[in-house]
Amino acid sequence: MIAVLGLVVGVVAGLLVRPEVPAVVEPYLPIAVVAALDAVFGGLRAMLDGIFDDKVFVVSFLSNVVVAALIVFLGDKLGVGAQLSTGVVVVLGIRIFSNAAAIRRHVFRA
Amino acid sequence: MSNQDETQPEETPTTRLRRELPAEVPAAAPQADASEEAAESALTGRQRLVKGLWPPRVTRAQLIVAVLLFGLGFGLAVQVASNSDSSNALRGARQEDLVRILDELDDRSQRLEDEKQGLEKQRQELENSSDQAEEARKQTVEKEKQLGILAGTVAAQGPGITVTIEDTKGTVEADMLLDAIQELRAAGAEAIQVNGVRVVAGTYLTDSGESVSVDGNKINAPYRFKVIGKPQDLEPALNIPGGVVQTLEKEQATVTVERSTKIVVDALRAAEQPDYARSSSQ
Repeated sequence: MIAVLGLVVGVVAGLLVRPEVPAVVEPYLPIAVVAALDAVFGGLRAMLDGIFDDKVFVVSFLSNVVVAALIVFLGDKLGVGAQLSTGVVVVLGIRIFSNAAAIRRHVFRA
Repeated sequence: MSNQDETQPEETPTTRLRRELPAEVPAAAPQADASEEAAESALTGRQRLVKGLWPPRVTRAQLIVAVLLFGLGFGLAVQVASNSDSSNALRGARQEDLVRILDELDDRSQRLEDEKQGLEKQRQELENSSDQAEEARKQTVEKEKQLGILAGTVAAQGPGITVTIEDTKGTVEADMLLDAIQELRAAGAEAIQVNGVRVVAGTYLTDSGESVSVDGNKINAPYRFKVIGKPQDLEPALNIPGGVVQTLEKEQATVTVERSTKIVVDALRAAEQPDYARSSSQ
């Protein structure tokens, strides 16, 4: 419950504050958000499976974000940033979908 | 990368695929509180979800997850806000994307510029050709009027003279009138009509009893010529010694010549298509 509240408060704060995104971070923010979403879905699934562990969640969340941003950064440096970020989004999207499928099976039994 | 890798064996077939991923998390982690785990494993996923949501419990796990989710929500909202800001649509774009977009725009504007030039050229050509057509049309109308005056298909007006030949004795004959017409033509008459009959190139005069026929139209004395031309030339041409006037007066006819600044020759004749003669000019 506290976790859901955290998400809601975060969205509201982001909409209200509307901070200027620093130009350095700007290309990586969308990818980082998608990676974090993937971690959250994975965590939710783990919770439904009864194997949720906060330490694992924290590590996977942060490492997801950092690795995704790193890949995009590396891609930019190599000149394939657009393609690599597309690849990252595709991979994360597939994972989110399969996690969502497992969650759905738990919640709706279907 | 995340917790999903530690699924339990009794899980659904998809987990088999998932298990092929390298396990990132040491399996020992969940065993920290094995008794609780055993109790929870009896619950279904749905029950666990409900239990996690209500009642709210302030645990370390909940707080940490809340902090992380706060970060996610914040980032999500910021990204969505900055993305939906249409004026800054290009702000988040990568340099190479911007270069590509710029190139595309350059290409596009170049293409449009070319197209514009082509269309302008076309417009100019059309304007020129319509100008030329207009000019040609004007010239044609002008020429038609000029030729119409010669052919007698249009009315004409201008300075000239009126010649009236009174023939009380009936002595005036066609050849005398023809002489008069020739003399007038020689003096520069441009349009002539006699008693309502237009005199043109093909006009012929014949005697018919007491009177004269012009182009088959019988006309009676007095013969009234309306002539457009330079009055100063026309009048002396008739009055020269031994000329038309003297010849007619010898035949007891009276001739009066009147100058006028405005003579209207309004007798018309129909334009006729020649049967044999064809224009040889191209």
